[in-house]
Amino acid sequence: MKVNKLIIDFLLSLMEKKKIDAFLLPLKVPSGDYYTYVLTDEKELIEKGKPVPPVMPAGGARALQSLTRLGSLKRKTGIIMHPCQIKAVIELYKMKQVDLENLYLFSFDCPGVFPAEKYIKNPKETEKKFEEGNQNEIRELCKICDKFDMVYVDVYIGIKKENIYLTPKTEKGEEILKDFKLENQPEPEEIKKRRSEAKEKFIEDFEKEIKGPDALLSLFSKCINCHNCMRVCPVCYCRQCFFDSEAFDLSSENYLLRAKNKKALRFPADTLLFHLGRMSHMIFSCVNCGNCEDACPMDIPIGRIFTFMAEKIQKEFDYVPGRDPQERLPLVTYEEEELKWVEKPYTRILRR
Amino acid sequence: MKEKEFEPKILGFLCNWCASAAANLAGVSRLKYPSSIIPIRVMCSGRVNPLSMVHAYILGADAVMLAGCHPGDCHYKQGNYLARRRYALLKEVMESFGLEADRIKLYWISASEGAKFAKVIKEVTEEIKKKGPNPLKKEIFI
Amino acid sequence: MEALKIKKDAESTIKEFLKFLMDKNKVEAVFTLTRMEDGFSYCLIKDKEIISQAVPFYPFMPSNAGKMLSRITLIEPLRKPILAILRPCELRGFIELVKRDQGSTENIFFMSFICPGVFPLKKLSLGYEEELKEYKEKIEKGELSKNIRNTCKACEHFIPYNSDLTISFIGENGKESILIIENEKGENLIQGFEGERIEFEKNFVNMKRERKKERERIIRETEEKGKGLDKFISLFGRCISCHGCSKICPICYCKLCDFDSSSHEIEPSSYEDEVKKRGGIRVPSNVLLYHLGRLIHVSVSCVNCGMCSDICPVDIPVSELFLVASLRVQRLFNYIPGRDYKEEIPLKTFEPEEFTEIAG
Repeated sequence: MKVNKLIIDFLLSLMEKKKIDAFLLPLKVPSGDYYTYVLTDEKELIEKGKPVPPVMPAGGARALQSLTRLGSLKRKTGIIMHPCQIKAVIELYKMKQVDLENLYLFSFDCPGVFPAEKYIKNPKETEKKFEEGNQNEIRELCKICDKFDMVYVDVYIGIKKENIYLTPKTEKGEEILKDFKLENQPEPEEIKKRRSEAKEKFIEDFEKEIKGPDALLSLFSKCINCHNCMRVCPVCYCRQCFFDSEAFDLSSENYLLRAKNKKALRFPADTLLFHLGRMSHMIFSCVNCGNCEDACPMDIPIGRIFTFMAEKIQKEFDYVPGRDPQERLPLVTYEEEELKWVEKPYTRILRR
Repeated sequence: MKEKEFEPKILGFLCNWCASAAANLAGVSRLKYPSSIIPIRVMCSGRVNPLSMVHAYILGADAVMLAGCHPGDCHYKQGNYLARRRYALLKEVMESFGLEADRIKLYWISASEGAKFAKVIKEVTEEIKKKGPNPLKKEIFI
Repeated sequence: MEALKIKKDAESTIKEFLKFLMDKNKVEAVFTLTRMEDGFSYCLIKDKEIISQAVPFYPFMPSNAGKMLSRITLIEPLRKPILAILRPCELRGFIELVKRDQGSTENIFFMSFICPGVFPLKKLSLGYEEELKEYKEKIEKGELSKNIRNTCKACEHFIPYNSDLTISFIGENGKESILIIENEKGENLIQGFEGERIEFEKNFVNMKRERKKERERIIRETEEKGKGLDKFISLFGRCISCHGCSKICPICYCKLCDFDSSSHEIEPSSYEDEVKKRGGIRVPSNVLLYHLGRLIHVSVSCVNCGMCSDICPVDIPVSELFLVASLRVQRLFNYIPGRDYKEEIPLKTFEPEEFTEIAG
């Protein structure tokens, strides 16, 4: 992709001008059938990098958690990732899992990524489809992603017709782009409009699939409770997930009793509890990346279920994950007067 | 210009009561041996987690050595028996995948065998010099 | 060996047997593979009504049943008897967990069967009508299906150890099933169940031969893909460090895996040092360490069930790699996981005179 080369040249020139010492960017793995993030300061390696890869590289935002959870990097490091992953980075920063000091965040107008399975089965063909700008076979969640430019970055790279446009979004960004000639960035209107419409249609259609406890149980009837979705989620950072902990070690008597009450009990137990519980833990920070759906071995539309809920709940609280590192997570803050609709039934009783 | 000769780096886990004492004795007896070994004194060879040895290998150690008391002479009765089993397991796993298992070594060196210690280090250094540096030193995808 | 011959196919026989056991109150509940709306799950069945959904021999393993039994009996043993129907590898996995104090066999009647293998989990989403037809045809003839997991093709221990009852239906033309009585507990269970008493020898020479050939082929192919430092690194290039393989593995029982814990967290300064030394380093790192570490921790007890390969989101052949390592490691210690309750795990014991040539 010509755009990749243009971005690489830009990153290298930043290094030449000593504005940035090292980059964390996607590189193709030795077997040639996936991408992973590599931290490097070598020109030869950066030249091999692919800032806009056709798949979500291993780890996403979690790579940054692995890098800076215990402290900050000493050298100025540029991080270039998909918008949803940078959003996840900002959410992880709010949860004290990432240290943003000395980091320079870059993102871009995202063309979406292909599901891992599709890519691994036929890397060459999928690369070609990616180059051609195929939008039909990318992740389902990528097709409805219209907020890709509402992300906190230092430099945003607009992409239109094989050209790139650099826009500083913060003081740090302005500082490093000082010596660059900047053009006005064109709005990615077409893509946003298409995806917005697709998202509205998705929400309309999915509403029917998900309504009622039977519908939810039906969607999760294939679930084997493997927890892959939680493990690849960029925002689920707990070393030991609550749902894997001793809290769920129950005695044989408990299981037999529940089996008696329901006629039978499936194992691993508490499947719906895990999904709804995980939802209640992280739905505010869900960046709709679709890693979960990619990793599900039973092809459950888990990403779409979470995105459906995330849209509703984030709108209710007027919260957009990843837009502002100073914006507090909805569950650690409050207004004294708010959410009156929750209180309504109780005030009626009090008035009597 | 003459290329700098490869000096191997060997990480050595030496048990306090035997192998480490032997290293001490070699020093006191002014026996000469290459400075390729980086010794780590542990109380018993049975305390060494095989994972530590693998980790050292992955991070680029040219060789990893575990040295303890002779079987039957362990200060803690059975530490070195367990170490021997762990080492056998580690070797088997590495050999299954052709991962240069001969860079991982086990020696029984008692406290009075200062000369043996020096000889072992000389031999291992020679062997690793011929073998070359650990390719994992430069590997990006570890 | 004494057995009961029943002139019905295995699926009908087992449903009748389970209903019989519950009618006669010989067991409180039954633990077996059950059909859900769109998928399959192991279920603890208390009500006879649900027995009609029981499909113990259906070729899917949604989770390792041994691991599930460990969850049920971890805190305390079962207080009332149940019958558990497990595949041979799942039963071996459970016994390995019991050796590690992760479960109890008390009050469990074990039923297993001569296992023809399971399909990879992906087949559930892709559709498997044709494959299921071929599977059934091959079973009737006593041959191996070609669509099962690689670890199933290579399985050496498809005849169960330590079961109280074993069902055999391979090569019985789909019209008969044999209920082999392994011990006194099994005899007590089948008392009152109708069937012809016969003598039955678990030969299966053809199946053993076929699986041995497959095993050698799969080992050869895996070594070609993964033996040698460059190839080994290449195989794990795709690894996204999700640790799903460890979580689904029956032997990996640790609540907080060492590799997820703080002892394996990397300081940012270490990362920057490695960049100085190597020019670049993959983030997150220690992927090879994780896999080699798991090989060291698990291979002595690996039962080759194949769940790890199925669960991997990037299709790394984990179970085939563990097959190669575990066969060698288990041969080294002359140990077969799950063969005998009294057999100690090789790393907990030693002989004063062994591996005499191993030290330099």
